[in-house]
Amino acid sequence: MRRWLLALPAMLMVGLFVVVPYLNIVVMSFRAPSPSAIYGPGFTLDNYARILSDPLYLGLLKDTLLYALGTTSLCFAIGFPVAYHLARTESRWRGLLYAGVLSPLLTGVVIRCFGWIVLLANNGVINQLLGLAGLGPYRLMYNPVGVTIALVHVFLPFMILPIMNAIQSVDPRLSEAARTMGASSARTFVRVVLPLSLPGVQSGVILVFVLSASAYIIPMLLGGGQVSTTPTVVVQQLMGSLLWPFGATLALVLSFTALIVVALFGAATRRAMRGVA
Amino acid sequence: MARLRIERLSKAFGGVVAVQAVDLDVAEGEFVSLLGPSGCGKTTTLRCVAGLEEPTVGRILFGERDVTRLPPEQRLIGMVFQSYALFPHMTVGDNIDFALQMRGVRGDEAGRRIAGVLDTVQLKGMEARYPRELSGGQQQRVALARALVAEPELLLLDEPLANLDAKLREEMRFFIRSLQRRLQITTLYVTHDQSEAMIMSDRIVVMFGGRIHQTGRPEDIYHRPATAEVANFIGQANMLKGTVVEWREGVATVAAAWGRFRCGTSRPVPEGSLVTAMVRPEALRLANGADRSEMTGRIVARHFLGNVLDYRVGLADGTVVCVQAMAGSFPPEGATVSLKIDQDKVWLLR
Repeated sequence: MRRWLLALPAMLMVGLFVVVPYLNIVVMSFRAPSPSAIYGPGFTLDNYARILSDPLYLGLLKDTLLYALGTTSLCFAIGFPVAYHLARTESRWRGLLYAGVLSPLLTGVVIRCFGWIVLLANNGVINQLLGLAGLGPYRLMYNPVGVTIALVHVFLPFMILPIMNAIQSVDPRLSEAARTMGASSARTFVRVVLPLSLPGVQSGVILVFVLSASAYIIPMLLGGGQVSTTPTVVVQQLMGSLLWPFGATLALVLSFTALIVVALFGAATRRAMRGVA
Repeated sequence: MARLRIERLSKAFGGVVAVQAVDLDVAEGEFVSLLGPSGCGKTTTLRCVAGLEEPTVGRILFGERDVTRLPPEQRLIGMVFQSYALFPHMTVGDNIDFALQMRGVRGDEAGRRIAGVLDTVQLKGMEARYPRELSGGQQQRVALARALVAEPELLLLDEPLANLDAKLREEMRFFIRSLQRRLQITTLYVTHDQSEAMIMSDRIVVMFGGRIHQTGRPEDIYHRPATAEVANFIGQANMLKGTVVEWREGVATVAAAWGRFRCGTSRPVPEGSLVTAMVRPEALRLANGADRSEMTGRIVARHFLGNVLDYRVGLADGTVVCVQAMAGSFPPEGATVSLKIDQDKVWLLR
C-alpha cells in the first residue's frame, strides 16, 4: 500500500470543493458583467481596476481588516489569560472551564447572534439593567460595537485552544528554573512562558484574523445593515445586484489582502520563534 | 557560600504529608545528599529549600538569614533539575546570560563570566549552540554552568544524573564532585542512587516516608545503619534476629536459634529484648561442612556473578542469608556449610 493513497480521499475533497471553486472564482473575476447572463463574453481587468481605484471599496477593505485586527487583539487579550489558566490549573473544575471555552461552538452562529440581539438591543437586557441604575440607553448594536462583541465571542475558542496547547507543552520546570535564577514571576512570564507559547499564539492569531475578516452572518445580523464589511458587500453583489464577476473580484481581493497580512505576521513572528518547538 | 539550616521542616499536600519534621544542618562548603526511594520526601525537601514549595511548618535559614517565606528569586541559589530545564528558545550563551541578567550582571563582565563558566564545565566555544543541538551530557553541564555562574550561596541538584547513560553518569559524578570541591560551594544533592550518594557526599541523609532515618558519613551509613530500611537501601544486608543476652559498652551478645553472635550498637539495650542485627554479605565467609563454628546452614541457591559466587544459605531458624565467596571451592546446593562471621561488622538495628 502506498502511503499517498491514504491521503487520496482528503485530496479529492480539497480538489473538488476548494481548488475547483476557487479557480472558478478566479476565472469569474476576469469576466465582464452582463445584464442578461451571469457574465458577458470576453475577459477584462475592469473589475480589479474599479476596486483598486474606488475609495469606497478600498475603505470597505480597510474597515474589514480593522474589524479583523480589533477582534484578533481583543481575543488575544482576553484569551491568553484563560488559556494560561486552563493549561496550568489542577482544579477539578477544569473540565467545566474547558466546556465553557468551547460553548460558543456548540450552537449555530445565527442562534448566537439572536442571543446577542436580545442582550444588546436598545430595549434589551443590558440596557434595561443599566436603566435601573439610571444609565443609558446606549446603542450597543447595529454598529461596530455590537459586531465586534459578537465576533470576539464566537472566535475566542479559536484563540484559546491553540495557545492552551502550546502552554501545556511548556515544561513547568522552565518557569521554576527561571525563578531560581532570580527572575520574578512577571519576568519569567515575559522571558520564558510567552516566547515558548508563540507557536500557539501564531496559530490562534491567524485563525481568528482569517475567520473574522471573512465573517458574514455576524456583521449582517448585528450590523443590521448599518455595518458594511467586504463579505457583506460581496454577498450584496452576488444576491442583490447579480454582479457575479465583480463580487468574485471583491472576494479575491479580500482573500489576497488577508493572505498578505498573514504572511507579514508569519515573517514577523518567525524571528521571535527561533529555537522554539 | 553559606551554611544551610533546616529546622523542623514539614510539608503536606492537601492531607498527604510529604515531609515530616526534618532537621538538617549543612556546613559551609559541605556536600550533602538526600537519599531515598521515590516518594520519600527528598525532592520536596529540596524544593522547600529552593522556595518552589512553601513549608507547612518549620524554618529554613541560609547563614543567619531566615528565607522560609522568601520567593525563590530572592534566595541566591543555583539549581539543576533532572530534566535540566534549559530554555529551548535561547542559545547556551543566552541561557547562562539569563542567570547573570537576573542578578544584574551585564556587559563585559557577563561575557567574561560566561566564557569562564563554560570553560569550567568543559564546553568552551559552545555559546551559540541551541540546547537541542547538544548531547544529554552537554546539556547537563550547561545546566550546571547556568546554576553556578551567578555564584550562588547554595547549589541544589535534583537527580541531575538520572537521565544520563551509565558510563556518562559515572564520569559526571566525579566531575560534579571535583567541581564542588574546587568552588567550595555548599551543596544539597537529591538522588535515589545509593552508590552515587556514597561516592559524592560528605554526608548522606537517608529518608523514608517523609522522615529522616539517618544522617551520617557514607561509611557510617553503610557499616552502622540506624534502621532496617537504611540497611536494605544501602547495598545488600542480611538480617539476623535474636534475643539480647548481654550488653556491655557498645557490644551486645545476641542468641539466635542457630547460635550466638556479638554485634555493635550505639545505644544500651536491655537483656531479653528481641532485636534485629544486620551484617553485610562480605562480612560472612563460607567453610565446607559443619565444624565447630557457631553458625551452620544449608546452601539453598548458588549464582555465578563472574568475579564472585553468590550463595543463599538457610539457617536453622529459617533465616536465609546472602554470602559472597570468591569463585574457587564451589560447595554445591544442598551442602551443609559453616559460616564465619566477622563480628566487628555486625550492627544492631533500631
